[in-house]
Order: sequence, then structure tokens, then C-alpha cells
Amino acid sequence: MAQPSTDANPFGYSEAVWRLFNQAPRAGAFAPGTAGVVAGTAQSNAAHAVLRIELQLAGGRVADSRFRAYGCPTTIAVGAWLAGWSLGRTVAELRALGAADLRAALEFSDDRAHCGLLGEDALRNALEKLQR
Amino acid sequence: MPEVPKVIYLDYAATTPVDPRVLEAMLPFLQAQGEFANASSWHRPGFKARAAVEAARAQVAALVGAEAGEIVWTSGATESNNLAIKGAIEFNATGRAHIVTARTEHKCVVDTCRYLETRGVGVSFLKPAANGIVSPEQVLEALTPDTLLVSLMWVNNETGVVQDIARLAPLLRERGVLFHVDAAQAAGKLPIDLRRVPVDLLSLSAHKLYGPKGAGALYVRRKPRARLAPQMHGGGHEWGMRSGTLATHQLAGMGAAFELAARRLEGDAAAVAGLRDRLWQRLRELPRIHRNGDPAACAPHVLNISFEGVEGESLRAALPGLAVSSGSACSSATQEPSYVLRALGRSDDLANASLRFSLGRGTTAAEVDQAAAMVMEKVRWLRSLSPLEAWEV
Amino acid sequence: MPIYFDHNATTPLEPRVLEAMQPYLTGPYGNPSSVHRYGRAARDAVEAARAQVAALAGAQAGEVVWTSGGTESNNLALKGATAAAAATRVLYGATEHPSVLESAESLAARGWQVETIAVGADGLVDWPAFAAQLARAPLCIAALMAANNETGVIQDVARAGALVHGAGALLLSDAVQAAGKIPLDFAASGADLMSLSAHKLYGPKGVGALLVKAGVELVPLLHGGGQEHGLRGGTENVAAIVGFGAAAELAQQELEARAETLLALRRRLEAGLAALPGAAIFARDAARLPNTVQFGLRGWEGEALLMALDRRGIAVSSGSACSSGKGQPSHVLLGMGLPRDVAFGAIRVSLGKDNTAAEVDRFLAVLGELRLAAAA
Repeated sequence: MAQPSTDANPFGYSEAVWRLFNQAPRAGAFAPGTAGVVAGTAQSNAAHAVLRIELQLAGGRVADSRFRAYGCPTTIAVGAWLAGWSLGRTVAELRALGAADLRAALEFSDDRAHCGLLGEDALRNALEKLQR
Repeated sequence: MPEVPKVIYLDYAATTPVDPRVLEAMLPFLQAQGEFANASSWHRPGFKARAAVEAARAQVAALVGAEAGEIVWTSGATESNNLAIKGAIEFNATGRAHIVTARTEHKCVVDTCRYLETRGVGVSFLKPAANGIVSPEQVLEALTPDTLLVSLMWVNNETGVVQDIARLAPLLRERGVLFHVDAAQAAGKLPIDLRRVPVDLLSLSAHKLYGPKGAGALYVRRKPRARLAPQMHGGGHEWGMRSGTLATHQLAGMGAAFELAARRLEGDAAAVAGLRDRLWQRLRELPRIHRNGDPAACAPHVLNISFEGVEGESLRAALPGLAVSSGSACSSATQEPSYVLRALGRSDDLANASLRFSLGRGTTAAEVDQAAAMVMEKVRWLRSLSPLEAWEV
Repeated sequence: MPIYFDHNATTPLEPRVLEAMQPYLTGPYGNPSSVHRYGRAARDAVEAARAQVAALAGAQAGEVVWTSGGTESNNLALKGATAAAAATRVLYGATEHPSVLESAESLAARGWQVETIAVGADGLVDWPAFAAQLARAPLCIAALMAANNETGVIQDVARAGALVHGAGALLLSDAVQAAGKIPLDFAASGADLMSLSAHKLYGPKGVGALLVKAGVELVPLLHGGGQEHGLRGGTENVAAIVGFGAAAELAQQELEARAETLLALRRRLEAGLAALPGAAIFARDAARLPNTVQFGLRGWEGEALLMALDRRGIAVSSGSACSSGKGQPSHVLLGMGLPRDVAFGAIRVSLGKDNTAAEVDRFLAVLGELRLAAAA
């Protein structure tokens, strides 16, 4: 069969979501016991999506990061974006980030609002642990 | 020039390309100097169009062992299923108003039955066994004195599971219950001989069998006669059962496709089943995958697999180079997981994280191998991204 | 060369339309409901065609529901609008197409009161009678075609719309014959539902559309699959839909030029008929489609004249194709109050954009010979 016209993103995801989903930069986890690492986890209803973000802090800023995600492409993209964005940020900057910022950065649609919340929750969870 | 990614088409159960020989049969009716007239017109151009329609009717009948006069043209299997079920219920003078069907039927059968429920018709939706089979005994048990019709598909469109229509049909005939079978996925895939199998109504589709979209048929048994109330009025075409100008080119195409299918059935089925089994052998190297539906009772062209540990939408999105159907739709948060797989007892997650591979005449061993490699790579990758995997494995 | 004068029965496919369809007949295309690339290419093509068809009819793309043709559109409109309603009353014009007439009559079995809207000898609605009829009892839906398939008579749908809406009811207008021959403006037409067909405007058979105004609730005729916002189940007939779109766009672009050509041919034909003793044109003085002439020839029964013309290579019709060969006089002419014997004599000539003056002249010459043969 001949080929139909193809484009890079056949499913209508935003360009940012599509790129981060496919490349998933910073996917993974630090070796257990790595110094200065704080992890935050969030999951949505019935665990259809789970996001785990790991931040390594040094001198009050994020020196390195990793994420893992189980969920739709937007969830995976949110994890990848958070991990990349947090690099070099201060804790105060991390605290100021909300779901709306994630949505604006990744340009996902209304029906994916929960993916932004998942990102916000995972980050908050990490920051709570940091406080403790 | 950026490299254009190859797309491997393994979605023949959704639709098939039109065979070049089928197109050739259609073209005379699409050309301004050709046989374009209305098949109902009372002049020579009209008679020629009528003759083509009748020749196609005989070709369609032949594939399923029917008489030409038992084939009613429709716009496709959806219309055939609607006409069979609503037509039988509305025509019936017996006052019986109960239907037995299964939860795994095609959406249009389920939706039609749900609509009839709102009109006071009782419907029993049977739950198949975990392997997808609805046993004849299960159907007989569900019959009530009020049952007018049983509607069961020959081959399931998602799982490929083949029901034992040949054994069930005579049992229903003995009991005076009408039997409708949706054979959209079965025709041309397995032998059907309605002279031996006493089905009363049988739905057929052209575009699942290398024919054009927009053409279908309903077999309506003459002896004993199955009676239907028309669902489309106006002009009394098709013995009053289905009005509307006949789309000559599409029917000629359906006829050619069915004749071709009759000639190729055995060879096609063996070749496609061989490739399907090859695909399964390759994919089985992955741990924690589950084949959906009974492999011992599966049509030759379908392979449906659920993948543990990956999320359905991401699985689908990770495979843009593969045209397959998925238990989950992309870019829709509201999509329900496959109701067919749910009815087989799969969890929401497994029903979602499923792929239906359906093979056809154009499928090659190289495509199968490439598809298997792509799927395995992406499943492993998605599993590696998952925090659940990291914790639990 | 055979002469084809039966364009109201069906038209040949325009070569430019076939060209537009070709990639979808042969090439890689999918089921528009599939989410993969093949499916999306099909979906895009279906949506582009929706905009083309909407543009021809002065409608919004979102108002277009694909069907398998004009018959299904009329069935969907009448049955869909009444299925969920408490039975009241349905009205349809006395000269409607069988798909409207029989759909409406099928409702009688479900307890609906079904009545015809009377027309005069010119085929036009008897307005005072219609107004009185509307005032008599509650109404759910009325059907009045934009232009008649046999006589070509053009109705004042907007006037009917105002009256029907005043009665709190819906109006269906079957515009299958009007589309592509006269301008259509669904938005201002007064109709809430409008039926269209591709194969009457040089598009493919097997595809049509129902235009549905926002807020009009219909119960589907074909359940299942959720296509067309749940209004019409079934895999879209992609190639035919693309063809309908292309045909609609050409019809819109060429509407005036085609109408001008057709009207010139029709006038030539009518002048010839006027000179032919014993020939009488039906609804002669009413506004009619530029391509349609229905007439009788004294001494000839319609079916016999049809066959005689057919033997000489001229394809016409004695009425609608649907009722051909059934030995029944046209219900359209009976509805206009013509006597049965006159109705039996009807012949319909429906011209097409590619017919020529020479073909009209040849037809008139043959008709003259046949008249003499009958007189002899």
C-alpha cells in the first residue's frame, strides 16, 4: 500500500507535548541513597497516571533532576518538562509553579487539565518532604 | 528532505483498500460516457445499470450460498444491522418483544438494541466467557417465550473470536426464533454456506473485503421467509425493504469484491493466518502480554493483545508508524476503554493498553517483523519510564 | 449518439469530480474513525467536503449530516423529528417525492395524523387552505420540497416556513432537485431541515446530506458507532463524500452559467413544443427549474412514448424514476388536479449542463414523427 501524507505528530498533541513525550529527556531515577535528592509522587484517580519527580538540591538550587511517569503522553511530557525546567531553580521558584504554568508551557487542552494538576502535586509533594 | 516515516497498515478489520480489479469494475459507472443511469429508470441506459446491479447481487449471494433474490442492498453493515433488528421487531405481528444478543456485539447492534429498549423491547445482553465465546447453550437458556430474535456476530471485530453459528442456527430454527448474524468480519474470511446454516438474516459489508465504502447488504431468507418492516421508505426499491437510488458503481464494486473473495478465500485465509501467527510468535518474547479472545476460535486476520505495565494512550501514541486499532483513543480523555475487552473480564487498564492488529492481502512478513520490533521496543521503553515498574519489578 | 434527457433521475459523474474522488477510491485511505494517519487523512477529506456542501446550500459546516442519499435524508428528517415526540400531526405537500410521502405515511401506523398540503393546478401551494389547515390542530413537522422532481415547480419555502413556524412546528424542505440548479440559502430558507443528494448535481450516487438547524433534535435512523455526532452511524463513504464536496463546489461556481445554458435549452424545447399540435406543458406558467419540462402529447400514453423515444436513443422519464414501470399515473400530476388520462400521458424531459441545442432539435424532430405516427 502507498503511504498517506505523514506529519511528525499525527494525533493532534501540542508540539511541546509531542516532543517531550517522544524524547522524554531526564527520564529515570537517581541511584538509591544519592545525596541531596528529594522525590515527590502524585497519582490521579485509580492510578491511571502516576508521576514521580526527583530533584537533587545543592546550594539552595536544583542541580540535577529525573522523572518517571505512567500515564498518557501529556503526563509523560509534564514530567519531562518539570524535570528540565527545575534545573537551576531555587526552592522559592519551585514553590511558585502551578498547574496553570504547566498548561501554558505545554499548551495542552482543557480536557488534560488533570495532567497539569498531577505535575503540581508531584512538585508540592517533593517540596513538603524537603521542608520536613 | 526530511525522512518520511513509514506507516505499516495493520488495520484491515477497520477498512481495506479497494482492490484494483474492484475499481476496474466500478469505473464504467463513474464515467460520463459510461453506464451512469439510474437503475430504476425505464429506458435502455437504466436497464443496463439495473443489469449491473443484478449481476453484482448474484456475486454477493454466491459468496455466502444465498439466492440473489435474498440479497437486499444497503449503505453498509451498520444499515444492514439496523434494518435486520429494527425491521424484524417492527414487522412482527406476534407481539413478541425480546431480543437476545451479546455484550461484545458491534456498537451498531448494541446501540440499536439499547434504542429498542427505550421503546419497550426487552434485551438480554449475554456476557461471553473470558475467551470471548458465547455458547449455544447460553443463548438457549436466555430465550423466553417472548424472544423474537437472536443477534450474534459471526466474527468479533475486536478480538476475531468466531462464534459457533453453525451449531446455534438449527437450534434457534427448531424453536421458531429468528436468527440475525452480523458477518461483516466473517465474509471472505471463513466459508459461509447459508444453504446449510439456517440463519435468517445476515449482514455484509463491502469495505471490509477490498470493496468500496458505502455499500453493504442484508441477506433476508426467502424460505422460510424472514419478514422486515422497511427502515427507509420511498419508491419501494429492494422489494420494498429498502428505498433509495442504488449506487450502481458501489454495488458493482461490492459484487466484484465478493467474487474475488470467493475465489481467494482459502489461499487468503491460510496466508493471513500464517502471518498473524508469525506476529504473535515475535511479540510473545515480551513478558506480561495477554492475547485477547480464544486463539483456537479466532478468525485468520485478527490478533488482539493487552500489554501490562503500559498506559493505553501512550502505547498508541508511541506507535505513529503503525496503523492499528487500539483499546484506547488518542487525544481524548473521555474515551471509554474497549467495552468488548471489558466484557471479557479485562481490567480497565488492560482493556485500554490493547492493540488490535488486523492483517490483509497486502501484509508482508517483513511488515509483520518490523511491526513486532516497533511494538516491543516501545512497550519496553514505556515500561522503563513507569515509576510503577521501577517499584514493583 | 444517444441523447440523455433524464438528469432529474440521475446525472453523469463530472470528470473533475471523479478526479477528486480517485485518490480515495484507489489510494491509501482509512476509516475516518481510526486515529492513525490513514484515518486522519480520511477524516480531513470528509471535513473539507462538509464545508463545500455547506457553502453550496448557504449552511454552516456543522449543520451538514452525511447520509446515503436524498431518500435517507428525508427519512431521517421525518422519522427523526417525530420518533421522540408525542404523536400529533404531520403535513406534506401533495407533490412531494415518494421518500417524503411514504416516510410521512409510515407514521400513521404509529398514531400520527398525516395530511397532505393541497396544491393548485400550477403545482404551487394553496396558501389560504394551508393557513387554515395549520390553524386546525397542533403540528409537529411539515414537508415542502424546494423544487419538484417531475414538473420542476419551485415552491415558496420561505413563506411556508413563516407559516409553519407560526404554528410552532418544523419545516423540512427536500432540495434534492433544487441544489445546483437554483441558488439555495439554508440560513434564510425558512426550513429547519433540508435534504440534498450528490448524484443529482454531477456527484456520485450513494451519498447525500441532511442539513439540520442548531437546536433541532432528531432520533437517528441508523444507530451505532457515533458518527455524525451520533445522528448517523456507519463508516463514512469517504470517496463519495469527497465527490459530493467537489460536485457541490463546482455547482456553486458554475451555478449561473449552468442555469443560463439550461434555461436557453428549455426555452428552445418549449418553443418547439408550443409549435407541436397536441403538446401541453404542465405547470407551464409557474416558476420552474431551468432544466425541467413535463408535458403530455395527445394520443400518446406516457410509458409508450417513453419506450418509443428510448428505441430512438432518447432517454427521458415518464415521472420519477422511482415509480417508473409501475403503471401508475404520476401522483404529482394527480395532486395538481389533472385528470388520470392526462397524468398517464406525462413525459418528463430533464436537461443537463452538457446537453446541446442540436439534441433538443433532434428530440423535437423525433417527437414530431411520433405524433404523426400516432395520428396515422
